[in-house]
Amino acid sequence: MSTAPAARVSGVTKRFAGTLALDDVELEIAAGEIHALVGGNGSGKSTLIKILAGVHTADAGRLETPGGATDLRSATPALAEAAGFRFVHQAQSTFPELTVAENLSIGRGWETGPGKLISERRVRRRVEAVLERFHIDADPGAPLRTLGPAAQAMLTIARALQDQADSRAHVLVLDEPTAALPPAEVEILLAALRRYASDGTAVLFVSHRLDEVMEVADTVTALRDGRRTATKPRAELTHDELIELIAGRPVVPHVADTARLRGGATVLAAEAIGGGSVSDVSLTVGEGEIVGLTGLAGAGTSTLLRLLFGAQQRDCGTVAIDGRAVKPGSISDAIVAGMAFVPGDRATYGVFDSLTVAENLTAGGVGRYWRRGWVRGRQERRDVHAAFGRFLVRASSPEQPIAQLSGGNQQKVVMARWLSRPGRRLVLLDEPTQGIDVGAREELWSVVRRAAADGAGVIVASSMLEELADTCDRVLVMRRGRIVHEVRESPITVDRLIDRIHSVEVVS
Amino acid sequence: MSVQSSTAPAVESSPEGARPAPARRRRLLDFAEAYGLILLTIAVIAFFALLPASSDTFFTMANLRIVLVDQAVLMVVALAVLVPMVAGVWNFTPGAAAGMASIYAAQVGASSGSFALAALAGIAAGAVVGAVVAVLITTTKINSVIATFAMTIIIAGVVDLETGGNSIVSGLPRTFNTLGTGEVLGIPTLFWLAAIVAAVVHYLMRMTPFGRSLYATGANRQAAKLVGLRVERLTALALIVSGVLAGIAGVILLARSGAGNPTVGPGFTIPAFAAVFLGAVAVRPGQWNVGGLIAAIAFLGALNSGLTLAGAAASVSALASGLALLVGVGFANVFARQRGRQLETS
Repeated sequence: MSTAPAARVSGVTKRFAGTLALDDVELEIAAGEIHALVGGNGSGKSTLIKILAGVHTADAGRLETPGGATDLRSATPALAEAAGFRFVHQAQSTFPELTVAENLSIGRGWETGPGKLISERRVRRRVEAVLERFHIDADPGAPLRTLGPAAQAMLTIARALQDQADSRAHVLVLDEPTAALPPAEVEILLAALRRYASDGTAVLFVSHRLDEVMEVADTVTALRDGRRTATKPRAELTHDELIELIAGRPVVPHVADTARLRGGATVLAAEAIGGGSVSDVSLTVGEGEIVGLTGLAGAGTSTLLRLLFGAQQRDCGTVAIDGRAVKPGSISDAIVAGMAFVPGDRATYGVFDSLTVAENLTAGGVGRYWRRGWVRGRQERRDVHAAFGRFLVRASSPEQPIAQLSGGNQQKVVMARWLSRPGRRLVLLDEPTQGIDVGAREELWSVVRRAAADGAGVIVASSMLEELADTCDRVLVMRRGRIVHEVRESPITVDRLIDRIHSVEVVS
Repeated sequence: MSVQSSTAPAVESSPEGARPAPARRRRLLDFAEAYGLILLTIAVIAFFALLPASSDTFFTMANLRIVLVDQAVLMVVALAVLVPMVAGVWNFTPGAAAGMASIYAAQVGASSGSFALAALAGIAAGAVVGAVVAVLITTTKINSVIATFAMTIIIAGVVDLETGGNSIVSGLPRTFNTLGTGEVLGIPTLFWLAAIVAAVVHYLMRMTPFGRSLYATGANRQAAKLVGLRVERLTALALIVSGVLAGIAGVILLARSGAGNPTVGPGFTIPAFAAVFLGAVAVRPGQWNVGGLIAAIAFLGALNSGLTLAGAAASVSALASGLALLVGVGFANVFARQRGRQLETS
């Protein structure tokens, strides 16, 4: 490790509504090194990054850089920038239709000539210099979208760093930079990162892809449950040790739930379905069975669920519920057949933000209360109250605006919307516990288990491996739109899942 | 805050046992937010009833009748704006469509002598406009603002073509006159008519699966699709309902003025939008709702009438209406933000 830390973070603690997200975390990033930050979902990675970026303030913690010390309790984006941090986020903030030169100038300013007019010549000269410095092979006048994905990612980095003459004076933070890249492009970007580091830039690299971490990082820091479990030079780690650092202690063996119906009659039979990023997927789900679906970002788990439900048109294959074929791309037919779909990204696809809790709960199913020209309000309210109890929703009244509820309670309402609807045979859940605090998560899973106990088949896509291991009868691992592994041994362990997700060989 | 109270014992969050106070304060805020506009309307009425310049005329039956009839047309046009708005679709056509409906009603009335045929023709004209807009928006996916804006221009052209710019004054069935000047229980018949239409729309929006589905569509189109709602069909239906309402507004307009005037219709569009926006801050704050719309129309009607009778110029009335809209919506935003903050800190 280098003797000159570009940034030293110590004692970072952060609490969210009673949950300890970060507990006395330390991190030291040296100039010229690539420092990988790894950890599962909920480990505190993103919270730490957000505090460094000044998006969140810490409850305690200090940041020391060559330029001075900052109290992270009063972190702001401006202070983060002054301390030399430069962030490149996964959600890219570039303008595909504008040119390379425009993308590098927006937010920074243009070189001007006489009369404050933009001087194309001077802009071009600067942009060419930046492109050369960051090894990007592109014409300044070309629209950004004509560049390859890796080159676009490099341009985002170049934009963040272009005005830093001294590459040692800053820390480049990359949050899952390769998540959206095809494999060949990943290599290009990783090579570029290595070059930037050898120029003296300190790189903090957040990634789920352990093979990349093993390939590119100099130092690895692992977080788990808000604590730092280790910081080690990568050379001293094996792939398995890395998995152990992320998963932590040996996982408690899964106790089979004997009360649950298992492997009953087949509910779902999907044959060779394809569409979007998914190709040639076949699977069956039995009555009372909970099937997990997992994979790296972009593996196609969400798409598979959307194809099954008809929210996305499938190009080929057949889907049948209880032996009855379901029309492709028809949500109404899927609902009639008995499917239910709890989408991921609750805010965009699940919640009717301006409506009440009751209206959210009965959305799409109001017809049940329509009798002789009237929506029967009393009966609806009674059902809503019953759902509050069954699905553990905490709301002050059915008329409370849903926006006032916590994320976990909103999610329970979205789940209750489907599970309280009669005749559900197959329940599809996409990342049901994402962004939900630990206490509510367990309650959500108990709701899922009860749906299965009532005889429905359940498919749950999740990246929360521990939760999958605890709840599922078997877990299907996807990669690049295909199911590549099936983990069904009892007990299912997190280590086994991580191993399967990251393993390279393809079994089809 | 109340969300969490059932899990965590209240002791933790209220060391001084001061828990009921914020709850009461919140209920008071809720009430002020929902009924503030109605209270303000009463205040405006009281003000002009007492103000020397207008006190002689403001609180008289004659003035009340004028205001009520004036607001009847506006009310129905505003309802035609509101219904698609609930589904998240902007419809600029109701004013122009009402004008066109009154022209066709007048033509058919003059040639056939039948009130029923005339009214039917007016309503049908409105429905056709609604259907055309529905097809345009749902099949070509043209932005609703642009599509309906273009339609208002086209309607103006059609009306001009039909009338050559001249009013249709003669030959209207007598029933129009009876309807326009008639009274039931001392209140103008046209006002009753608008009130019935408002009640029907309220029923449609709040008590039928159609209305509830429209609210869901407007709140989150993506989520609405995923719960199995056919959002395109709902949008189309909302626009056709809107067209029918514009047609009814046209018939009321014809009964009020006794002549088919080719120019008055489009003038209702902007005040109708103002009333719908202002109405969204009252009764069911944050939602396009019929109750709030009635409150807004009452408020704007009282304000305009009072100012007119107090001798203020027409420009003052326009300024006051515009300001009321900005202040009302501004306050609603502040209220909403305050609640957001209350939530975050809880």
